[in-house]
Amino acid sequence: MGPWGFVFLAYGIVWGAILVYLFSLKHRYRCAQDELTQLRAPEELSDHAKK
Amino acid sequence: MAEISKTSSKGYLGGLALISVLLGLYWGLLQAPPDAYQGDVQRIMYLHLPSILTAYLSFFLVFIGSCLYLWKREKRDDNLAHSAAELGVLFTALTIIEGSIWGKPTWGVWWTWDARLTLTAILLLIYTGYLMLRSLIEEEDRGAVSAAVLGIIGFLDIPLIHMSVYWWRTLHQPPSILRPDKLPWENIHPAMLTALAVNFAGFLLLYFYLLSLRLRLGEIRNEIKARRLARGVY
Repeated sequence: MGPWGFVFLAYGIVWGAILVYLFSLKHRYRCAQDELTQLRAPEELSDHAKK
Repeated sequence: MAEISKTSSKGYLGGLALISVLLGLYWGLLQAPPDAYQGDVQRIMYLHLPSILTAYLSFFLVFIGSCLYLWKREKRDDNLAHSAAELGVLFTALTIIEGSIWGKPTWGVWWTWDARLTLTAILLLIYTGYLMLRSLIEEEDRGAVSAAVLGIIGFLDIPLIHMSVYWWRTLHQPPSILRPDKLPWENIHPAMLTALAVNFAGFLLLYFYLLSLRLRLGEIRNEIKARRLARGVY
């Protein structure tokens, strides 16, 4: 492998791993947000009923 | 309203991080000159140095968050330590991988049991252990306390890593930027220093963007646990 091969290998792995982490973080964030919305829903319904 | 302002500030931070990262790639791969001895392979430095400095910053935040948690027992501080540890592990692992790829053409080996490399691998193991400890101990408060103690002890490895190139005879070169005897611009070509600074700024902005997302995830998870406990579901 030539010098540019090593450079592209390093840059590819680093930015690939950071992108994978970013997408997995966004996925976990969305799942948690959905779960929280479901947990909040009955309370919000009862608040509306009281009003 | 506060939620909307938080989301839009995260959006701005993400946009700014993306622009800085693209500028860093341009400077690192196209603008900076090749090194006189190593040639183009030295361009890995524009990833290697910013990623380890970002990892150090992350573990410093683990240290601060852990100390504050042991003192005040507030979930906010524990969330900071946990989030920063996850990101610190990512950036340390990337530093070791980049270093290994850089080591092959310059030293002729992918890995060697050099003092700095070994201590960095130990740092990665300590904080991987930190994350495993948190998931293995079921009682949440006890897990947070044990992790905080490990987070503080683990941070002591960082001064050892920095000083290892002075204290032991190592294959790893001494610092090019953070030297006690020379100013950064006296030791490195201005175009290389600019490429390094732009990449470091990109890594920092990206880091704070990822940290803000991870902190928010921790807050949501804490609220989910509290709501489940209140209902007796958990």
